[in-house]
Amino acid sequence: MPQTVETLAPARDAESLPPPPPVAPPVYDDAIVRLFFGATVLWAVVGMLAGATIALELAWWKANLGIPYLTFGRLRPLHTNAVIFAFAGNVCFTGIYYSLQRLLKVRMWSDTLSRFHFWGWQGIIVAAAITLPLGLTQSKEYAELIWPIDLAIAVVWVAFAANFFGTIAIRKVDHLYVAIWFYMSFVIAIPILHIVNNLAVPATMVRSYPVYAGMTDALVQWWYGHNAVGFFLTTPFLGLMYYFLPRAAERPVYSYRLSIVHFWSLVFLYIWVGPHHLLYSALPDWAQTLGMVFSLMLLAPSWGGMLNGLLTLRGAWDRVRTDPVLKFMVVAVSFYGMSTFEGPMMSIRAVNGLSHFTNWVIGHVHSGALGWVGMISFAVLYWLAPRLWDRPLARPGWATTHFWLATIGIVLYTVSMWAAGLTEGLTWRALDGAGQLKYASWVEIVAQLRPFYWLRFAGGTLYLLGAILMAVNFILTVRGARGGASAAPAKTAAEPALA
Amino acid sequence: MGKSIQRDQVTGHADEADGIEEYDNPLPDWWLGLFWFTIIFAIGYTLHYHFIAHRSPQKELAAELAAARVQWPEGVAGAAFVPTHELAEKGEAIFKTNCVPCHGEDLHGKIGPNLTDDVWIHGGRPDDIVRTITNGVQAKGMPTWGPILGPERVKEVAAYVISEHGK
Repeated sequence: MPQTVETLAPARDAESLPPPPPVAPPVYDDAIVRLFFGATVLWAVVGMLAGATIALELAWWKANLGIPYLTFGRLRPLHTNAVIFAFAGNVCFTGIYYSLQRLLKVRMWSDTLSRFHFWGWQGIIVAAAITLPLGLTQSKEYAELIWPIDLAIAVVWVAFAANFFGTIAIRKVDHLYVAIWFYMSFVIAIPILHIVNNLAVPATMVRSYPVYAGMTDALVQWWYGHNAVGFFLTTPFLGLMYYFLPRAAERPVYSYRLSIVHFWSLVFLYIWVGPHHLLYSALPDWAQTLGMVFSLMLLAPSWGGMLNGLLTLRGAWDRVRTDPVLKFMVVAVSFYGMSTFEGPMMSIRAVNGLSHFTNWVIGHVHSGALGWVGMISFAVLYWLAPRLWDRPLARPGWATTHFWLATIGIVLYTVSMWAAGLTEGLTWRALDGAGQLKYASWVEIVAQLRPFYWLRFAGGTLYLLGAILMAVNFILTVRGARGGASAAPAKTAAEPALA
Repeated sequence: MGKSIQRDQVTGHADEADGIEEYDNPLPDWWLGLFWFTIIFAIGYTLHYHFIAHRSPQKELAAELAAARVQWPEGVAGAAFVPTHELAEKGEAIFKTNCVPCHGEDLHGKIGPNLTDDVWIHGGRPDDIVRTITNGVQAKGMPTWGPILGPERVKEVAAYVISEHGK
């Protein structure tokens, strides 16, 4: 163990440090963090329940009960919007509101904007949950919401951005920690992507026509679509990793230098990779090449994040065995590395010819979504709960159970979708001895996928059960007794409760 | 970023990062090597694809089709259909599986028309029969069998139908 580590005080919470004499102790707004925390847990269960439902419908269509509002076509966008914008969005806001104030040693710039952001965002989610089952959609993937809701998103996001940068402006420190750079890329990139992709001419209150047509529309859509992955599901979560992983591991970040290089290379390269969704399409060849090679170059910058996460755990691996927070983090960062290797491979023209339009893509997305986004989110939530409510986690053992349910669920999910995707990719192109399609009947191929669909449903259900276990655990925690020395404001009592 | 940089030296920003220390470790060599490799590959691939080999998806398709024409000269577009007993024998099983519900075990017709008489609603030449089976007759409920059976099996079943003519 390096000497320098010894100089680190264990668990240096800002609250536990004696405040510097000239500055009044910062009073952070943790009420807003608790609000976003609660919303995160609620939408996690709702979004994953929708996911498990549509997984069941693919294996056994009668699960839609003949009700139009519950059919796959309507619930699928509800699932994606709920898990991405409701669950992942709220967990980012939870982590950002908690860490930003502490990193900058200042309360959020405006409590009013914080509340407007919270209630506005939840209102948008409720509006989505009503309109999507009704079949009201723009038919753009991950941008299905109709134009009035799109406008609301823009307004709420601008309020959040104003509050975010307002807080940075009044900060009590000079240095901006790496997590904040990642948050900034999230706060800046999302409105740009959202507004440009959703530019449309409204026709009625629920219908509009995009300003782009044909291939241009497709290109703008996937520029948006892939950067939703980049700037909604990657950079803010790397920011969370950079704050919560060293806090939980109580170890220094492995490399400041690496964090700078991989941050700038990541955000520069990500913005170009959208065309890899349009290989072998009418998109000009040079643009297809651009999408492919920028995706390949994205491999190392992505792995920079994984490396900095895993190497930060040096000297803390013994605690990974016992601490569920670290368990979730290790699996999250590992899946981040795996899916950011798989992604560039799938963007290679020849590989894409096999993988495109198959369930392999679904498997890839979920190894990132369940593995990286979900697991790092659970880690953040389990780390935060005892601190936000100042009491030990009610059922520490359940957190470990949740970890195993989720991990086994992800493995079942990705393996079944790889198998399904390869089955599709290979049977679609297979020729018989006479040079004719060997599997000319589409239905025949779809029927081959049903065992994989059942397996995927099983995996998704395990993941959902884990999330429900977590939600119950948090409800018990919040309703439970305050932990340890309840009179003292020091929050050290929370840490051993999880160990 | 040479090897001279001392390992595990903290940057000293912890008091401005909520107590989080950061080492200023160098970039791992293999990581940097990987990054450079992908950059060089990206440039090389682009130059090769567009400016040296002049490749394109259109050319890829053309080459694939040309290879197919060499491998299956008779299989591609327009070769006349010649029904044979050999084909008819193979076609019998296909007929029994797919066609009996509508045209009957003895081909005398049920929902679909009689196939053994001299009335050919959609043409009675071998190629006509192949075409009718391949494309189906939407208005009468005859499915589009082409994509389901594939061209070879369509020809086999057509040969069987022809072999049963007059029985």
